[in-house]
Amino acid sequence: MNFLSRLKPRSREGSLGIILVITVGVTGLINPRFLTGDGTRDLFTSTAVVALLAIGMAPIIIMRHIDLSVASTVGLTAWFIADLCAKHPDFTWVQCFIIGPMIGMVVGILNGLLVAGLRLPSLVVTLGTLYIVRGAVYVISNSVDYNAQEMPPSLLDLGQKVFFGIMPFTFLLVIFAMLVTAWFMKYRKAGRDCYAIGSNPHAADLVGIKVFRRTFLAYVFSGAMAGLAGVFYLMRFAQVDSTAFYGQELAVVAAAVIGGVTIAGGSGTTIGATIGALLVQTIQGGLAAIGVDAFWKSAINGFLLIVAIYADRTLARKSESALLAQRIKERA
Amino acid sequence: MAQKGDLLLQMKGVQKRFGGAIALRGTDLSIRAGEIHALLGENGAGKSTMLKILAGVHVNDGGTITLGGNAFTTGSPEAAIAQGIAVIYQEPSLFLDLTLAENVFIGRQPMKGAAIDWNKAQEEAARLFSELGVPLDPKRQARGLSIADQQVVEIAKALSMNANIILMDEPTAALSASEVERLMTVMKSLKAANKAVIFVSHRLDEVFAISDYITVMRDGATVSENSVSATDLQKVIKEMVGRELTELFPKTENKIGEIALEVSDLTNPAFFRNISFTVRRGEIVALAGLVGSGRSEVARAIFGIDKYTTGSVKVNGKVMAMGSPVEAMNQKIALVPEDRRQQGLFMIAGVDRNISMESFDRLKGKLFLNFKKERALTEIWREKLSIKYAAPTNPVESLSGGNQQKTVLAKWLATDPEILIVDEPTRGIDVGTKAEVHKLINAAAGEGKAVLMISSELPEVLGMADRIIVMREGHKVAELSRKEATQEKVIAAATTGSKGA
Amino acid sequence: MKFKLRLTWDTSILALLATVWIAASLTTDNFLSSINVSQIFSNTSEITIMAFGVIFLIITGEIDLSVASTLALGSSMLGWSYAHGAPIWLAILICIAVGTLCGFINGFLVTKVGLGSLAVTIGTLALYRGIANGVLGKNTINEFPDFWTGFGFDTIGTSFIPQSLPVIILFGIGFGLLLHNTPFGRRTLAIGQSPEAARFAGINVIKHKIIVFTFTGFMSGIAGVLYTFRFSTAQADNGIGLELLVISACLLGGVSIFGGIGTMWGVIAGVLLAGSVESWLTLREINAQWRTIVTGILLLISVAAPVLINKAKAAKAKAANKS
Repeated sequence: MNFLSRLKPRSREGSLGIILVITVGVTGLINPRFLTGDGTRDLFTSTAVVALLAIGMAPIIIMRHIDLSVASTVGLTAWFIADLCAKHPDFTWVQCFIIGPMIGMVVGILNGLLVAGLRLPSLVVTLGTLYIVRGAVYVISNSVDYNAQEMPPSLLDLGQKVFFGIMPFTFLLVIFAMLVTAWFMKYRKAGRDCYAIGSNPHAADLVGIKVFRRTFLAYVFSGAMAGLAGVFYLMRFAQVDSTAFYGQELAVVAAAVIGGVTIAGGSGTTIGATIGALLVQTIQGGLAAIGVDAFWKSAINGFLLIVAIYADRTLARKSESALLAQRIKERA
Repeated sequence: MAQKGDLLLQMKGVQKRFGGAIALRGTDLSIRAGEIHALLGENGAGKSTMLKILAGVHVNDGGTITLGGNAFTTGSPEAAIAQGIAVIYQEPSLFLDLTLAENVFIGRQPMKGAAIDWNKAQEEAARLFSELGVPLDPKRQARGLSIADQQVVEIAKALSMNANIILMDEPTAALSASEVERLMTVMKSLKAANKAVIFVSHRLDEVFAISDYITVMRDGATVSENSVSATDLQKVIKEMVGRELTELFPKTENKIGEIALEVSDLTNPAFFRNISFTVRRGEIVALAGLVGSGRSEVARAIFGIDKYTTGSVKVNGKVMAMGSPVEAMNQKIALVPEDRRQQGLFMIAGVDRNISMESFDRLKGKLFLNFKKERALTEIWREKLSIKYAAPTNPVESLSGGNQQKTVLAKWLATDPEILIVDEPTRGIDVGTKAEVHKLINAAAGEGKAVLMISSELPEVLGMADRIIVMREGHKVAELSRKEATQEKVIAAATTGSKGA
Repeated sequence: MKFKLRLTWDTSILALLATVWIAASLTTDNFLSSINVSQIFSNTSEITIMAFGVIFLIITGEIDLSVASTLALGSSMLGWSYAHGAPIWLAILICIAVGTLCGFINGFLVTKVGLGSLAVTIGTLALYRGIANGVLGKNTINEFPDFWTGFGFDTIGTSFIPQSLPVIILFGIGFGLLLHNTPFGRRTLAIGQSPEAARFAGINVIKHKIIVFTFTGFMSGIAGVLYTFRFSTAQADNGIGLELLVISACLLGGVSIFGGIGTMWGVIAGVLLAGSVESWLTLREINAQWRTIVTGILLLISVAAPVLINKAKAAKAKAANKS
């Protein structure tokens, strides 16, 4: 496990970037199409939703919480927007981009109040909201499907728009969100507070950090991102039914954890989360190219997640044993 | 900016009670700028309480505290910080995932426009570290830093918050000799900057090496305040312990039999080295020393909760396998742990369930537990130990400290051990229950059990033990018989290299 | 104080269950009919079986999100081996063995390797179902011996009692006794209440947790058998989403997510509550997906209620002290 020891926390993103490049290269060897403009564009398009969700979830995981409801929120928002657009044919992409996040924020506010306000364990709370939102989608949608005809053309056009031959509009937005959030997490007190809360919740309280506010807003943010991701979903698939994006919550967690947002809290960046999402997608693509059945997809996700956690734990163990060795020296 | 020698802080007649217990019965303390002031005293003398009042954690019930001539606002850590008081605890609690610079400026990061100015934070932190004489890299993560280095970060943080008085609660307890040297350098630079340092320590050699003033406390009162040149080690030790040792503990003379427990050369490099001693049947051996000297770790190693690297534990002459509490229990060893709330009891479980925890074999038929027998067992021990509770199924959480301790004792005595190890058996208990517990321990020895008692309370140690073994920093430094032991000798062995009076 | 609250929690759940039954029978025609009650028991059978294992796990302070995926993997292996010529009893054993192995792997990763159970079982949830997908792909195996599909689906003679029910009842009694009446059960509770005190009490926490994880896997394997025969289908999608129902049922039944507290009858009541609500909705011809919403709300209530009640009590005590 030599390369693991060189994965120092601060250059985790760097290491990940290298791993990504290598993986892309390997995949490209197997399937040359992967390295073409088309292939790159497809990679970005297919990663956009998960990447955006991972970006939204990063602050939450950093604070030692989790949000399992994001995937359901994507489905909810996608369907709602489609429904609204069908009823208001004059809608353009602008309205979608505003209303989408707002719908997501409703879920986020609910999560935030329960987790931050009542201090309930986030696993259980977001499990509950996952259920509620999922059920709500079914009930509200009443099995009505929507497809391309009902969508605003301006939205679908944006979904098709590609810059420089390889960068789809959605992923461009993902990069934008990633950079803005990364800046916020590094250069704003509110962002740094998240790391403090995740690193040592008790001390954070003592130092006067506003734990409720940060936690609550993180959930609202996650909800907003999920809402926006719902719009992305529509743009990509141009259709939605009541099972949209069903069951993908773990892919998001896996992407984030693989990207260095440790489940123990206190560390990780949105850049890492995005790379994690790309990495997962690339590995999937690579394996598909070798001829591995698409059915192994979730197995791979699961396996990658376990590997990522194991790597994290190994790193943690190393510093623990270093500290122990020091103690032994002292006691001599 | 205060001038050297200005009176910064004055505490007069400060009183504090916690429920029924009196922690401070009218204490005084005067602190001047540019001085290093040591606060000495045994466990329970009230030193920590004094610090905590200054830190804003507790509010005093009586007496006056003035800071720079004005009344000191008590009761809030934020107010304490605002008034220029910073506390460094024995176990610093930094944010391990953040950098050192960020830890120093947590919550108050310097800004450049809308963004945090990391360069400035790092430069400032580096400046503070070098002022303190410790070149730490502000850009590195706090994780992996030694306790000593973490303390330095905390001190730098205190400085950056313009603290004038820096309180340190047993700062050297977890430090090696070289780190203590370094901390002394840091304290000297604080002194040079006309700050005041109040520190609590048990390492008397160090205290005399670095302090300007020494205040000795005993049983919640100030006994003396002297400049370091006006006092010496022996005087200080006498002041720390100088109470009349009334015979609170009716020591029964028991028949002392063969060696039941033999510990040879026991070593766990992180906690203790080359520990050897014996305990005979009917004997009470006390393991004395300061907190952190490794006594509890030795007990845990004997009981199998922790492992050791070399040495052996023999029960009745036969070597016992290490690392297995089940094996220890099979060998009839019982360990009543130091922290009854976290280690000895299951707080939300009922008294009955706590008492029966180690006695399942006796309480079950072939497969299932017999609840009637469990209730009977609880009743037996309730009577034997006079445990007071409203109902046996009440969570043990609802019992008083003394009754909780009795429950833990009941649990282990119910296993009918031959070797009984008790770790701080009367910590945090009222006087009446204390006496009861002592009677119980004496009775256990009277029944022929071999008793190993870990205690930081000198009167208890001297009153109960047939032999006293003193540990300091993981080593066994003295073994005293009941006849030859005095409080001074024990404290001297526990805190210094010298042999005491 | 917390302990007392839990005792009332169990009675509240039973009261709630009774209320639902009364309300349902008043508002629908057939709720209390033998067919319907039989349906309720049938539909909740796999969840109940898995809950029997998961309850021990949650009590020790861990969690297992992979139970439904284990069910699916076991079921897929059952179908696959049967379709490839294995005798049915062997296929069943394989299903159970696979389940047990999955549980053991979870336990190993969590205790020996030291990874958090939430993260690990999120991973194995995907991994196990993924392997099931890989093994069977989109195939389903539907041909099973009548005796066994009868066991899963039919009732005893002409009564309304499902054939699987006696088995479940036996399991329930057995594990209930295990939890409440044996040293093993006491140790389980102890580990959840205070892992540190459990160490000092001589409990081998790691060994115990591995046993509990393995046992959960074993139960998931059995649930896999039952599921396969009840629906006469072995496919990779079996049981999707059931893990959340299992955990919800446990939490509803008064098992604390923080560990250390839980009763078997509470969990059974929780399972029946969820199942009864679903049945009620179905009979009223309300969209079945309302069940998901209701489960979610019930889950939230089950965590929020203790906190809110304690807050109310504390506020009351404060007010009383002031006066």
